Amino acid sequence: MNICDIMKRDVKFISPNTSAKEAARLMHDQHIGALPVVEDNKLVGMITDRDICCKVTATGRDAVMTKVSEVMAKDVATCFTDQELSDVAYLMASHQIHRIAVLDNDDKLAGILSIDDLAHKSHDLASTILEASAAPAH
Amino acid sequence: MRVSELMSKHVEAIAPDKNIRLASRWMRDNNIGSLPVVNDGKLVGIVTDRDISCFAVAMGRDPSSTPIEKIMTTDVATCYDDDDITDAAHQMEQRHIRRLAVIDHDNKVIGLLSVDDLARGSHELAGAVLEAADAIH
Repeated sequence: MNICDIMKRDVKFISPNTSAKEAARLMHDQHIGALPVVEDNKLVGMITDRDICCKVTATGRDAVMTKVSEVMAKDVATCFTDQELSDVAYLMASHQIHRIAVLDNDDKLAGILSIDDLAHKSHDLASTILEASAAPAH
Repeated sequence: MRVSELMSKHVEAIAPDKNIRLASRWMRDNNIGSLPVVNDGKLVGIVTDRDISCFAVAMGRDPSSTPIEKIMTTDVATCYDDDDITDAAHQMEQRHIRRLAVIDHDNKVIGLLSVDDLARGSHELAGAVLEAADAIH
């Protein structure tokens, strides 16, 4: 089975120049914990609700003045729509991540695959990723 | 297997009148995603990194002057440390959540059990919890 069979399509994304507050609002409204950051049709990073807690609130930054680009993760792990589930699960475990951006053959964002999506197909693969992940503890 | 064998012990707790910024620092510095909120030794809530993003930052609340009690979840799901992990997992499944506060029989918080902890005991149980969990991705 390939990634494109189980990933979420129609992914919300955000521009790197948007404020951290806007990103937090979008994640709240859309019931999501992470947003791909896209510039000129290219994936340039990923921002999570935890990034906003730890890199904006904890550091005392003003969420309206802080841009997504200042607190997002760059060099994020990606996979492709036609990759095997088990390969991508291994990639997620080795990077200790619970979600991964999925690209098409033109390197454009095609979807997001989360550990929850994986769990619908394999409890074992999803749990392997949970076991490998170091952070956050609870 | 008992909950006590898998739960995270040495759990930090925070008082409800502490401010949100303090909670966020605690979560960052201790590499944790949730904090039990305890008042006079009693569990009164739980606050997560997501709560801080969604209910403080997104709503424009000042994290230095807003107390945790404004954004915490008060209806905390709990289990006992001597419960079987199967029962704890079923509770997570039924409530569509990924963690439980662990209490002893004096109702004192002594740990947290997350789906990550569960995975170390049973891939099958942890996978079922993820499958049932509210979609946050």
